[in-house]
Amino acid sequence: MGVLDGRVACITGGTRGIGLAIAKDFLNEGAKVVVNGRDESKAERTLAELDAGDRVHFIAGDVKVRESCEAIVDGTVEHFGRIDILVANAGGSSGNAPVADLTDEAMQDALVWNFWHTFWTMRRAFHYMIPQQWGRVMSISSVEGKVGKPGLSIYVVSKHAINGLTKSAAQEVGTLGITVNALCPGAIETDTMIEQGPPAAESMGMTYEGLLDMFAQESAIKRLNEVEDCAAVATLLASDAGAGITGSLISIDGGTAPY
Amino acid sequence: MGKLDGKVACITGGTRSIGRAMAEAFLAEGGKVVVNGRDAAKGQQCLDEMAAGDNAAFFAGDASKQDAVEGLIDFTIERYGQLDICCLNSGGVQMTAPVAQMSDEEWQLEIDWNLNQVFWGMRRALQHMIPRETGRVIVTSSVEGKLGKPGIPGYAATKHAVNGLVKAAAHETGTLGVTVNAILPGLIETDIVRATGPDSAVAMGLGSYENLIEAFSSESAIKRPNTVEEVAAVAVLLASDAARNITGCMFPVDGGTMPY
Repeated sequence: MGVLDGRVACITGGTRGIGLAIAKDFLNEGAKVVVNGRDESKAERTLAELDAGDRVHFIAGDVKVRESCEAIVDGTVEHFGRIDILVANAGGSSGNAPVADLTDEAMQDALVWNFWHTFWTMRRAFHYMIPQQWGRVMSISSVEGKVGKPGLSIYVVSKHAINGLTKSAAQEVGTLGITVNALCPGAIETDTMIEQGPPAAESMGMTYEGLLDMFAQESAIKRLNEVEDCAAVATLLASDAGAGITGSLISIDGGTAPY
Repeated sequence: MGKLDGKVACITGGTRSIGRAMAEAFLAEGGKVVVNGRDAAKGQQCLDEMAAGDNAAFFAGDASKQDAVEGLIDFTIERYGQLDICCLNSGGVQMTAPVAQMSDEEWQLEIDWNLNQVFWGMRRALQHMIPRETGRVIVTSSVEGKLGKPGIPGYAATKHAVNGLVKAAAHETGTLGVTVNAILPGLIETDIVRATGPDSAVAMGLGSYENLIEAFSSESAIKRPNTVEEVAAVAVLLASDAARNITGCMFPVDGGTMPY
């Protein structure tokens, strides 16, 4: 018996990294899970890794497109009959640069990828969760949703925006059986980090190794976080025991954020 | 198989309310637990109700006193051979009063009960945990560790102080296999709140106990008090192996009350 028996979850960007770890944990706790990825090519590998039979379903869609975000949520309901848990997990940034050199396109892209995607999926999920008077919405924000780093303003801005959205939405649905929270992990060396880290480091005037070391040194644990850290917190928030936790920006950062 | 199989915990103020819920949750996950309280009769009643046999024990002592807090740590290690999880949970106020009317005696009691207890217990526990390179210190703080309600200045001050202690200790022990975290619950209708709530309501200018509950509830998003089980679930998470990389965290269980 799991703490998520009978629950249906939808995870954007769930084919690898944090999203995949959350999917594994949710499946272990008895949930049915929709994982999303940009294209069908990742579906086979992801479903094979999750190995959960008909309790897991893949929906392709680009989270930078509103119709796709809404289709991922709608598709979850069409396939499993309901949606109880939304994890707005996809995100990242490219074209990082100091503000003086930043392009409009890079700022816009990060906002769409991180913030608008969270808003679009949250809004759609609320349409199902409010009538059923039960729901869990969580976004994968970042320690950069609480602090700021030079050269990463597009990421920092979009994660701060997610945290604001989380607080407001939590107040709106607080008496409706729905919680809204943000997980704020420290740096984790996911595939996304391996792809996006080197150019981000360059924009900060350092090497990729230097970037990872800087994040580690800022923490109390002097090492990076791990995807499983986020999965454990996500499962708690998704469970019945998480009913009294909402509007929270939970630091999963080895002691990095000051609050 | 439980998340805390083989782990040994001690809990100050563990015979009822939040501490009791933590004890029961730890036992359900395979842990062994020593609960503490002032009253031996209540301790025995707690053990009888938990019905955990040799997996639970009681240590009598006043958590506002250094020898009792250190004694709990030492007793736990003596009884079960180790201490993996130290929950510094006891706390409260005896007489609520605004600063202008606050007595030195009450102020000192709140510092001893809420802050020094945590320091004494944490120091003793870390002296055991650091050589073993494993351990979890979990402090029951409060939303008042970030806010400040009129009429409970000592509580707000000591809970703020506790949060600072947790952050500093987390950085000291971050590479040593030990985590130090605080849980910040919103109002919970515990026995102690029911006992002191009516006086607190008057000191805070709220009139009645019902108004006090309503005032706290209305500040949250969920418009209700929190529950001890909600806090216990977070304590289990923080105590488990899965939380090895979470430290220095002010974990809210407040229904959306705190602004940060």
